[in-house]
Amino acid sequence: MHWLKDTYNWLERRIQLEGPVKDAILHPVPKNTASWWYVFGSAAFTLLLLQVVTGILLAIVYVPSGAEAWSSLQILNHQLPLGWFLRAMHGWGSNFMVAVVLIHMAQVFFFGAYKFPRELTWILGVFMLLMTLGMAFTGQVLRFDQDSYWGLGIGASIASRVPLIGAPLVHIMLGGPIIAGATLTRFFALHVFVIPGMLLAFTGLHVWMVLKLGVNEWPMPGRPVNRKTYIKEYHDLAHNDGIPFVPGAFWKDLVFSGAILAAVAVCAAVFGPYGPTGQPDPTIIQTVPKPDFFFLWLYSVLSYLPANLETPFLLIAPVLGIAVLLALPFYAGEGEKSWHRRPVAVMVLALVAVSWGTLTHLATFTPWSPVMNAWSGATVPAKFVHNLSPTERQGAVVFQSKQCRNCHALGGEGGQRGPALDTVATRLTEDQLIRQVVQGGGNMPAYGTSLSPPEVTALVRFLTTLHPVGQPGATDASRADAETNSPPVKAQAH
Amino acid sequence: MNLRFFSATGFSALALAASLSFISGCDQAPGASRAEVVERPDQITDFKTLYTQNCAGCHGNDGRNGAALALSNPVYQAWVDDATLQRIISQGEPPTQMPAFAQSSGGMLTDAQVDALVKGMRTAWPANGAFNGLTPPASQPSGQSDAAQGQKTYQTACAQCHSKPNQQVTDPTYLALVNNRTLRTLIVTGRPDLGHPDWRGVVNGQVQPGYPLNDQQVGDIIAYLNSLRSDTPGQPYSPHSQQ
Ligand code: HEC
Ligand code: HEC
Ligand code: HEC
Repeated sequence: MHWLKDTYNWLERRIQLEGPVKDAILHPVPKNTASWWYVFGSAAFTLLLLQVVTGILLAIVYVPSGAEAWSSLQILNHQLPLGWFLRAMHGWGSNFMVAVVLIHMAQVFFFGAYKFPRELTWILGVFMLLMTLGMAFTGQVLRFDQDSYWGLGIGASIASRVPLIGAPLVHIMLGGPIIAGATLTRFFALHVFVIPGMLLAFTGLHVWMVLKLGVNEWPMPGRPVNRKTYIKEYHDLAHNDGIPFVPGAFWKDLVFSGAILAAVAVCAAVFGPYGPTGQPDPTIIQTVPKPDFFFLWLYSVLSYLPANLETPFLLIAPVLGIAVLLALPFYAGEGEKSWHRRPVAVMVLALVAVSWGTLTHLATFTPWSPVMNAWSGATVPAKFVHNLSPTERQGAVVFQSKQCRNCHALGGEGGQRGPALDTVATRLTEDQLIRQVVQGGGNMPAYGTSLSPPEVTALVRFLTTLHPVGQPGATDASRADAETNSPPVKAQAH
Repeated sequence: MNLRFFSATGFSALALAASLSFISGCDQAPGASRAEVVERPDQITDFKTLYTQNCAGCHGNDGRNGAALALSNPVYQAWVDDATLQRIISQGEPPTQMPAFAQSSGGMLTDAQVDALVKGMRTAWPANGAFNGLTPPASQPSGQSDAAQGQKTYQTACAQCHSKPNQQVTDPTYLALVNNRTLRTLIVTGRPDLGHPDWRGVVNGQVQPGYPLNDQQVGDIIAYLNSLRSDTPGQPYSPHSQQ
């Protein structure tokens, strides 16, 4: 073992890193920062490393050309041993990374860690978040399948709405007027060189500042940050009530990072790689492209926005959002760090988290868009087919053939654009059903001109059978009355 | 060899074995099978997929218990020929709700896919001597048919079941939505999933009165039903409520 020590000494005499590294790992941090709440930053870093390693391995096989990208992924998935696993690790790693970065950011916000003197650390962090999202988006493009094709199309159409420079911007982004091979090489360069290069540089600086400025102490109510006194207070805290960073706080980082890697591996093994879905061919119209996990919320927002608000929202909201994030440490650089004394911050965080969760959840089943093949693929449940008269059964066929099913579910299958109709007859009388079908309304098209009278009649007769066995359908009391006691008869009686 | 060394080698051997078994077992992990190739929609020729996406909505899962004809009925499969299947799937069957599926008629399926559907039906739903040696009425009408005679046949062969108010096949609204082909197919091949008999008229092992029907009788019944068609079918209110 002698030669090992000799080599080490030889190297150390020339590089002289021992001192700084020792300083870094042994520097004291406040004891209360050795908490499970402080592990997300290092986990994000671990995931970044995972992405770099798996990304390099993928780049060995991947061909960034319009003609071959899709098939090179098929080779990875099907011909190379564990190729699918590599893709799955990179794909799930990306999801985890976005999630962990967001959690890290929320935690930093929640703990007031962006305040003096860590403003710049936060600002770098905001850019690192944007780069992470940029990696997620460009990565999705490189998959170059249907989802990626349409995702890019939507990205391009967003860019094209920028006033004045919209068209040239799209041209630069796509490398031409349309999505083609040139587009892919651009995104490859972005995803593999440009953004990762910047991200790694920013990460280095970010970590450097964390080491230099110290890990944010556990926020205590009634101990506000003051620019004049903070540095000294922190120094005292770290030295009087501190522990060395390694191993005191570090072992939790290690454990958590290991757990995150294991979680990525489990997801990869169980759920497999992302796509590629169908080929990126715009002539294939039987497709329901969906953005990857992280952009789902945006997909929901855009679906719910009225058309005339889309452009302002797309162009103004991101700028505003980023500006707010960047301005935050300057606006609130001092004062209380503890969430006990920051009700507005807590509420903002809760609001953002809940809206984000809700929008993402909605986007997983897209109740706003019709299911375009339900009419021919979603069977009329057998219980609605039996015990019908021939006319009613024809009504069920009309219900399918006129594509009502694309917006209306029966037996849990079908679109959710309109209400499920399993029990519609308990809500609407025959006349109301006729009106709804003929005139539509409330986001339902009017079918008056596209259905023949027998089609309307059969359809409505079918709809009137849609009620639970023990519960009669809704009826119009006046109709029965009119049939038995019509006014002329009464007039004669007098 | 001290104990430390032993346990260290033991440990690394274990770790090596574990990772080897992980790597070899990994290609069988559930995730591996999720990486299936997604075919272009116009390249799909798997019968089950084609049928589930395009036909099950109306014709039911497995070709029965659907709102439209039970295609898996062996009697139907024995009776219908490939050319007819091909034509109806490609071009639809106006004025019924059966849509045209071939791209040449505005649909989404290629000719190869229509072929795959026809072939797939034959394999998935074999006819297996469904006629039991009997000869069914032809699939095309022949000769003159007589509506008055048809009414009589209807009374004996059909009315016993179809006079119930909610089983009216004589409803002009119903008749406006079907054509002679639909009626012939239904009368000859039946809908076993709904309890409507084929031309032999066997219900619960008993031949019903008036059965089996011959070619002439089927034509007559259709002529009778046609005579009930209305010029203004499908008016929403029953006539007596308008008086
Ligand atoms: C584009 C999607 C869409 C299609 C296609 C569509 N609907 Fe609707 N439908 C809706 C929406 C949305 C509503 C809710 C209207 C409202 O809020 O007033 C609705 C409401 C209804 C209602 C009232 C349900 C209730 O509980 O009040 C009925 C009945 C109905 N549709 C029947 C049909 C029929 C029959 C067809 C086919 C001819 C059809 N719909 C096609 C979207 C659709
Ligand atoms: C919108 C509902 C609908 C869909 C979807 C549909 N059909 Fe039909 N089909 C009908 C109706 C209605 C008829 C004619 C009525 C009948 O014969 O029961 C029919 C008739 C047929 C017939 C002819 C029956 C005869 O008289 O010999 C065939 C064969 C057929 N369909 C096959 C298919 C196939 C295969 C598909 C899928 C590619 C399909 N159908 C999809 C509604 C549909
Ligand atoms: C043993 C009783 C029985 C007899 C006999 C019978 N049917 Fe039916 N039929 C049914 C049942 C049950 C149904 C399904 C319920 C319904 O539609 O009323 C049905 C359905 C039908 C349908 C509609 C099928 C569909 O796809 O919607 C037609 C048309 C029909 N029968 C015609 C006839 C004709 C014509 C005859 C005489 C040749 C006849 N039936 C004899 C029991 C019978």
